Amino acid sequence: MAQRQDRRPPPGTTAPVLTTDSSPERRCRTWSWLLATLVIGSTACTPIRQAAPSVGLGTETRLEPALSGDGRLLASLLERDGRTTIVLQERQSGRLLPLGQVQRNAPHHSPSLSWNGRYLALISQQGERRLAVIEDRATGQLHPLPLPAGQEVQRLSLAPDASRLAMEVNRGGQSRVLVFDLRPRLEPDLPPGQSVSGGGLP
Amino acid sequence: MSRFRPADWRSRAAALMLLALGAILGGCMADQPRPLDGINRQLEASGSSSRAPSLSGRWLALITSRGNREVIDLVDLESGRPVPMAGLNRPDAEPLAVSVDGSGRRLALIRQRDGGTELVLHRLDVGASEPIAITPAGVPEQVALSADGRILAVQVSRQGYSQIDLITLP
Repeated sequence: MAQRQDRRPPPGTTAPVLTTDSSPERRCRTWSWLLATLVIGSTACTPIRQAAPSVGLGTETRLEPALSGDGRLLASLLERDGRTTIVLQERQSGRLLPLGQVQRNAPHHSPSLSWNGRYLALISQQGERRLAVIEDRATGQLHPLPLPAGQEVQRLSLAPDASRLAMEVNRGGQSRVLVFDLRPRLEPDLPPGQSVSGGGLP
Repeated sequence: MSRFRPADWRSRAAALMLLALGAILGGCMADQPRPLDGINRQLEASGSSSRAPSLSGRWLALITSRGNREVIDLVDLESGRPVPMAGLNRPDAEPLAVSVDGSGRRLALIRQRDGGTELVLHRLDVGASEPIAITPAGVPEQVALSADGRILAVQVSRQGYSQIDLITLP
């Protein structure tokens, strides 16, 4: 027959875990702690919201947001006076950042940014055709990415490290996603501290 | 003494013209981006059409038309294989937009379900989807998740205007 063990702590030591004090004050304190923990926990898990910083004089139509890989920059399209143009901003301050040749040839569509925002890919209008282009903000160079005849680009997504580009292409009335390798053309745009393979003796 | 032979000159001129044409075409081709043929063939075979690509790290998320419905696919570009996504593609929902983070563990998507449009964050590591409320109320239209998975930018339609909401994720 199993004997009942004495769970009391030895004299001179402190009880380690549970107590069975069920006084009303004790229960009240326990429930208060539980409630406070729940409130703090739920606040910590609640997403924090803010509106995108304004770039105009009040209500404006903003479309197709794109974030740099580190979330520091926000690219979006601004619809104003019947024109749709690209704007690039610091996400937190709202400060507008200058862009080069890529600002020409509106309307723009489907912006996409690399990790630090060095590269901005978007679709611009070249006469009757839409053309995918990538602006290197570090050098000001514009890289056009023409597609074979009969294919028209609809959407873009640039990999954060700028190694690849995915395009949604309309071919004969049907949408297709195609992936392209950019590695020979663009230097990588990597998070700080991430090494590039090669380039040294072992 | 060599004799002038018109046939030789004609063939040399033709060869030179072909070389020049090749150089011109080569120059034009050099401007074109280089397609990843293996991946593109797999994407072509996976459905009748595909749209809304989102690249991040080694991951490509996209919406593929398969049978009579559209589904969200996630492809590992290093292995070329699709990633199974339990619990994401519900039979009663139609995906509208998708964005993946650089770790491939978080997907933000917009879908139509029960007559409404909802913004959802899906965590692949636990196979769970969590709706994200739009406040003030509006209809989500486009979504972009930063590659570090911390910030969500959402195009929201409110009272005839499209605005962008920024959401910091826990």
